Parts: sequence; C-alpha cells; structure tokens
Amino acid sequence: MNNDTVIDVRDVTKTYRNGSLEVRALDGVSFTIARGEYVAIMGPSGSGKSTLMNVLGCLDRATTGTYSLDGADVSGLDDNALAEIRLKKLGFIFQGFNLLARTDAIKNVALPLFYAGVPAKARNAAAAEQLAEVGLGDRGHHKPNELSGGQQQRVAIARALVNNPAVLLADEPTGNLDSKTSVDILALFESLNVRGRTIIVVTHDAEVASHARRILRVRDGLIVSDGPPQRRGEAELPA
Amino acid sequence: MIYLEEALRVLFANKIRTLLTITGLIIGVGAVIAIQVLGASMATSVNGALGSLADDSFILAPSQVQGDFRKAAVKIADIATILQTVPNVVQGLPAGGRSLLVSHEHNQARLFLSADSDRPFNQSPLRYGRKFTPDDVAAATNVCVITDRAYKRLFPKGGDPTGQSLYAGLHRYVIIGTLAPPKQGLLNAQFGGDVTIPYTTYTDQYIHDGIAGAARFVVNDPSTMSATEIAVMNAIKHLHGNPKGVQYQTFDKAQFTQGINQIFNVLTIIVALIGAVSLLVAGIGVMNIMLVSVTERTREIGVRKAIGARRSQVLAQFFIEALLLCGLGCAIGMLIGLGIGSFVNHTAIVKLNGTVPPLPWVEAVVTTGIFMIVVTLAFGTYPAFRAASLDPIEALRYE
Repeated sequence: MNNDTVIDVRDVTKTYRNGSLEVRALDGVSFTIARGEYVAIMGPSGSGKSTLMNVLGCLDRATTGTYSLDGADVSGLDDNALAEIRLKKLGFIFQGFNLLARTDAIKNVALPLFYAGVPAKARNAAAAEQLAEVGLGDRGHHKPNELSGGQQQRVAIARALVNNPAVLLADEPTGNLDSKTSVDILALFESLNVRGRTIIVVTHDAEVASHARRILRVRDGLIVSDGPPQRRGEAELPA
Repeated sequence: MIYLEEALRVLFANKIRTLLTITGLIIGVGAVIAIQVLGASMATSVNGALGSLADDSFILAPSQVQGDFRKAAVKIADIATILQTVPNVVQGLPAGGRSLLVSHEHNQARLFLSADSDRPFNQSPLRYGRKFTPDDVAAATNVCVITDRAYKRLFPKGGDPTGQSLYAGLHRYVIIGTLAPPKQGLLNAQFGGDVTIPYTTYTDQYIHDGIAGAARFVVNDPSTMSATEIAVMNAIKHLHGNPKGVQYQTFDKAQFTQGINQIFNVLTIIVALIGAVSLLVAGIGVMNIMLVSVTERTREIGVRKAIGARRSQVLAQFFIEALLLCGLGCAIGMLIGLGIGSFVNHTAIVKLNGTVPPLPWVEAVVTTGIFMIVVTLAFGTYPAFRAASLDPIEALRYE
C-alpha cells in the first residue's frame, strides 16, 4: 500500500444472520482507491452495494477481511473509535439531505465541528467559509425549509467537507433532485474532485455514475467489473 | 452550549406537546411548594405563640378519660403537700379559671379570669405597669394584670389603665399591669386568662370546696421537668389512695412544641406522598414523550451518528432535553406554588400572625431542584440511553 492509497479493501466479507438463515451480502471483495479518485459504486438493489457503502463508511464492520482507511486499519475498531473515524476521515452525503430542521445552514454545517470539540467561534467561521465554497455564502442564516432541494444538498455537501475528510461518501446524492439540479450537484462534485477530493458515489443511476472516472459494479456480493465509464451514448450493459 | 440550544429549539417547536408534558410537573411541584410555604408560615405563627409560654411550668390535670372526675380532681391540699414533698417544685397554684362578665365604666366584656403568680405563665412583655410581685401573692391583694385583648375591650379609647379598677363578677380589682399585644400569636389566648389575679386571691375568692381541679407547678430546674412531672403524678395518685381508673396527665411547653412538631411531621409525610405520586405521574409523562421524541427523530440520530457523534454525545443531547423539560416544568410549578403560598400568606396567615411571613425561597428552590434531578434521572435516562444505542444503519433507514 503506497501513500497515495486512501482505501484498501482486502477479502472483505459480510454475513448477516437472520435466525438460522445466513445471508452473505459481501462475498470477498478486494480493491483499492487512490487519493484524488472519483469512483462510482453501481449495482442493483440486493447486490451488496449498500452493505459495501456501510463498510466503507465505517457504519458497519466487515465479518472477515481487512479495511484500511487513510493508512489506518479500521477493521477491528469499536463503536466509539468508528465514530471518531467517521468524524475525522469521512464526509457523508445522503439522498434525503438529512439536515437538521429549524437550524440554519451555518449551524448545520458546523455540527461535525461541534462533535469534534471545536469552539463555537472557530466552527461558525469554518462553516461560513465552507458554505461559500459550495456557492451558498449568502444563505448561511437560512433554514432548510427556506432553501431549494439543490441548495439543501449543497449545505449537506458543505457539512460533509467541513472536517476536511479523506473521503467524501455520497449515497444517491441526486436521487431527490430534478435533472437540472442534479447536473449542478454533479458539476460541484467534479470541481471538488479536480481540487483533489477523493469522492465515492453510490448510485444505481448510470447517468450519475458516468461522471465518475472509475466505476465499480457490484453484483451478488462480488465486484463484477472495475474500470472507467463507457463513453456517453454507448449502450449500458444490463445490470 | 449547543445541546441546550438544540433542546430549546425542539421544545419550542412542539409548544403544545411541551406544555402538556410539563403540566403534571407544574401541578405536582406547585402543590408541594404551596404546602411547603404554608407549613413554614404556620410554623412561624405557632412558634411565636409558644414563645410567650413559660418553660419553667407544667400543668397537672386529671385525664379526660376516666370514671369519676371529682374523685380525681386536684385539691388545694394536694398542691400544698406536693410542694413540700416533691423536690424541684418551687411553686404550686390552681390552674383553670372562670369566664366572667368584666366591666370598666360602661365597657363590658365576657373574659376569662385565672390565677397567676410572680412566676407568670404568660411571659408576654408588658405594655404598661408591672407584673405580680411575691408581695402581691403573699398579701392576696385585689390586683390584676390584663392582656392586650382585655385592654382593647375595656379601654377602647386607649391610655394607661394602671391604677384604674375593673369589676369581675362580685369583685373589684386594681389594674397593675397591661401586657403588650402578641407579635405573632395563633394560640396565645389559650395559655392563661385575659384577666389574671394572684393565685392566693383566686383561692380565697373562687375556691370554697378546696378543689382546684387542675394545678400549675413551677420548677426550679426546667431540664429535669419530665422527671418532676412523673414524681408529681405519682404523688397525686398516692394522695388519692391510688384509686382504680384514675389517671393524670401533665402539659408543658416542650410537650406542646412536640405535639405541634408531630402535626408538622404528619404534614411533611403527606406532602412527601403527594410529591412522590406527582413525581411518578409527571415522570411517566416525561419518559413517554421523550421516547416518542427519540422514535420520531430516529433518522436525525442516525445522521448525527454517521457524521461522527459518539454515543455519549447523543446521550448528552437527549438527557439535556429531558433535563430542560423537567427544569421548565419544575420552575413554573415552583413560581405558581410560591404565588399561591404568598397569596394565602397575604390573605389568611396575616390575620393569625399580624405580619406576613417571609417566603421560604431557599427551601423552595432546593425542593424544586431535587424534584428536577430525580425526575430527570429516573425518567430521562432510559430514552436518552435508547437514542444513544441506536444502530446508525438502522436509524438512517428509518422512515
């Protein structure tokens, strides 16, 4: 593993136990992602895509195998240590934005800094700066219900970025947005990637995935393909 | 303090729910604080009244429950014997008195006349004149000391009555002293007559059959009062030939204080019970709404955890929300309770006491604080713990 590897997944399996029934959601997955990559993880529902995302996002632990994030093995960590990793090294973006209602944009963005113990003044300043970076410098004191869907997702992106994470993890980031706004958000991802952010987008939408430089296709708990997206207009392989 | 800020936002976003949840606490704490205030007010008035009662005397009387009251009645001769035989007793005099029509010029009043000595039972300070001296008692003179109540009835125009005469029943007495009005006195009137005369005079004029009924004894050393009381009760039984079914009892200031303290202890227990029940009911309400809140915000909790909130941070957030909810209810309840207590002090207690007793702020705040902490710990911990224990994946999936 060289210094440019930010994610290193080796022989990861994940088995769920439902009574006597064992479900193997991940069946030995290995790949690496280098710093600065823009990767899409694709797959139909039930493919293990969500499980893979949960493992990558340190929300869940692999049953077997190892997972190193930003040079640290996180496979055997306990809940609080995983929370620490999520806080310091990961930025989450959700389909449903998941901002705190009745809380203005700056405070939403500043929330991870609060959990990290940053004093109020410093975290509000950092949050304002981050909002400006996603193009919402003038909306800091607006509450989520005063913002459009696209603006809300920008706030969520600012929140994911404010702790300067090693990896930005987005789960269907445009699922709740109209196509025009989706284009804006994807453009924002591209510009972030150009500036060096490592981005992983989990999606079933080929159009969204096509913006990435690399696509991992998951099926039946295995990675079935790994490579750059096909050129636009080319027929999609049936997933 | 962002937890507090967020908790406030949540509570204000659900105003009606918050208000309904804390209603139980408001009523419970309000009731307890109101009773606490009234208890403190009653205590000041009773202590004030007892303050004027001599603590070197006790009353000996036949028990109310017995077959032959006359056989048991204390005789003048008994008093004399006890005075000679029982150590520590330095004075003995008939207790009780007569309700008589008392007049001065054209002012008349039905007042209670009783015997007293140079060691007065009612130790209120003087307003005019003097109290009895040993000479008054020895000479059995026709003099009297009157209370403020008697003074107000007989001398409505005021002025120093010392040296003037009043008529009580068939006799004329020269007023030598007038007691000051009681500062605080709920029970003063019960501890002696409004018109007191030397007990020697009283014995001459009112006791013709040698029967005093009850007696008051003055002791030399009040610290051994209880032992002296027992000795006196044994002596009187012996003097009456230990008849079956005849019982005596004694009263002194310490016993009165104890009796009143017992009443307050009972009151305290009742308050504690009301407090415990309202605590339980209100606490269940708080717990219920906190559990609802945790369920409603499952997704939010998931997001917080995904962002990197530790267990303890989620726990703190919901715990502080419960604390704020309880604190709000308890604080409003306390203010309402103090308000009710203050209202009763100003309208009712002031008539008994003559003054408005001070509000027991410190006690009220302490009680309220205890309520708040107990309810929060007992009923806010579990919902907060549940929130903190949520699995982030499950929580994020929650719709």
